[in-house]
Amino acid sequence: MRLLPLAFTLLIATILGLGVTWFSVTHSRGLDVVRSGAWEGWPRAGTAKADPYARAAVARSGELPLELADGLIFLATTDDAGNPLDGRCETRIVGILPQARLWTLTLTDQDGNLIPNDAGRSGFTSAEAVYRQDGAIDVRLSPRARAGNWLPTGARPRLKVALRLYDAPFSFTSGAADAAVLPRITREACL
Amino acid sequence: MTALGELREEASGILSRLGRMAGRMAGRLPQPRLPRLSRPRFGSPGQLVLFVAFAVVLGAIAHIVSILAMPALAERNAYARLSEMMESNVLTMLADPTPQQQVLPTMDPAFIAAICLYDLSQAPLKVRVPATADYTSVSFYTSEALAFYALSDQAAGRVIELELMTASQKAALPEDEEITAADRLVIESPTREGIVAVRAFVRERGMRDLVRRQLEAATCAPSN
Repeated sequence: MRLLPLAFTLLIATILGLGVTWFSVTHSRGLDVVRSGAWEGWPRAGTAKADPYARAAVARSGELPLELADGLIFLATTDDAGNPLDGRCETRIVGILPQARLWTLTLTDQDGNLIPNDAGRSGFTSAEAVYRQDGAIDVRLSPRARAGNWLPTGARPRLKVALRLYDAPFSFTSGAADAAVLPRITREACL
Repeated sequence: MTALGELREEASGILSRLGRMAGRMAGRLPQPRLPRLSRPRFGSPGQLVLFVAFAVVLGAIAHIVSILAMPALAERNAYARLSEMMESNVLTMLADPTPQQQVLPTMDPAFIAAICLYDLSQAPLKVRVPATADYTSVSFYTSEALAFYALSDQAAGRVIELELMTASQKAALPEDEEITAADRLVIESPTREGIVAVRAFVRERGMRDLVRRQLEAATCAPSN
């Protein structure tokens, strides 16, 4: 009767191991994460220096990651307080962007699909956005039309925002500490 | 009356004999052994700790093996998705991502992208990308979608011209001063097959068609 506990242990172990694998490839893009507020970036993911977790995540998702010499992507799925980005709420992204040749801000649902809307708008580029007097951007994610830099959320329960900085001069060779300060994400009001 | 009584006696006798026979037959059949589907019981706390430790170690092994095997086992990686829709060594424009479909996940919708799947087994590859109205970049990936080189128009000038070859093809290059001049940019590919991604930035939505036409002039072809 010692075989049964053994089989039981093997089963638990396999489920545990594969579960952690599934979680890590769907929720992360590698170990060398750089954080700034709610933003997460993986500067080395997708390059030849990527760690095994980044390689696995890229292989599973089927994407072509940005090479660091080209650009850098930051993703946010929560606001600065840690609440998930909710398309039924009004969320503001305010701040000055780090120096880069150009940037794009893209709003998607949690699976990374663009959200259909009448305006045909899914993001802003550095050339399209309206800047404040002090050079900061003020982007509003809202299910209803807003003045200024408005991105329609389509009232999706979960959102993902991607900020891409192209030809950015800063580097991440000295670790996560010198991550540039990125715009703050705050939730204003919920419907 | 007596005849009926006799018949009844006879019938009960047969029945009892049949019952005894059935009992004997059943006794001779092998007893099916049902596995006990109860929770396994651990003899002592020490044994429980041992099993938990065993499970954690095995789980860690399963996790590490599956993470390391993922790039080899993933069937829907970028190279597989792209090779379904295009030939090797030809630059193909990608459709713009829409809410309904995107060719590859997490592509920047503000960019127009063209892809060239390369196969260096016959000859090196020549990539020529004339600069578009705005930021243009060329990135090289292995077949596992790991980038090993990227270049933007700012670093390259008006026209991005690159030659991609394997290490052995690079070693076979004639050692000629003129050929190895700085204007010829040779990149060594770690793998024989891979992906070249050309991306051009669209500053404003109205410029999409213009940038797309400019990017269509880019080429990717075997060099001989």
